[in-house]
Amino acid sequence: MVPEDDDDMPDFSDVQSGASSTAPAAQVYETYEVKSGDSLSKIAKNKLGDASAWKKIFEANSDILKDPNKIFPGQKLKIPKS
Amino acid sequence: MKKLAAILVPLVLVAAACKAPAPPPPPPTPVATPVPPPPPVSVAAVTLGNAIGADKKVTAPSETFGTKDTIYASVDTAGVGPAKVRALWTFVKGDKTAKVDETTIEFQSSGTATNEFHIAKPSGWPKGDYRVEIFLGDAAAPALTRSFKVG
Repeated sequence: MVPEDDDDMPDFSDVQSGASSTAPAAQVYETYEVKSGDSLSKIAKNKLGDASAWKKIFEANSDILKDPNKIFPGQKLKIPKS
Repeated sequence: MKKLAAILVPLVLVAAACKAPAPPPPPPTPVATPVPPPPPVSVAAVTLGNAIGADKKVTAPSETFGTKDTIYASVDTAGVGPAKVRALWTFVKGDKTAKVDETTIEFQSSGTATNEFHIAKPSGWPKGDYRVEIFLGDAAAPALTRSFKVG
């Protein structure tokens, strides 16, 4: 078992990422693991640069989120990028 | 009795000889050749570099990067059908790892495609060893892995 995300490991929270494809109509999303203290608007601000974009995240995760105010540490959310 | 046989046997032989020829056998029913299903989507190649062209391909392959580089992984796929390609970027320090980023592309593949994943860190990449694993679908094991260094 390889330990992950140790405290003495570097912080990669400011990493910017993206993707694209030559295939038409490709959908791109980042997988984000919810941390303690997160909210959809906070995640939207950090990942999409706009807190009001929380609705995009909520809609992209409608299969697992029923209430935008209820997210839990460890949940893996799709952050749409296209 | 012998007389009767002498009359009947030639008659039977003549009748048999005059019998209409058997109709030709019907032509064989054509058997439909099953069309093989298209090959599922697979990863053909992964190339790393710090720049890509309009075709999404890395312009100058490299496995060593500067701390301010944007790092690209160009992933060639082939096959037909729904495709889900995921790139998991990881920092490796001894036996410890830290997730850097995880991004997925989903598309309908109609043949070959080139997909690019990229990561950047404005504050600078920590020097050390990294890897990117490319997964297909929801597979637990990567289809391809590439290691690289920063610094």
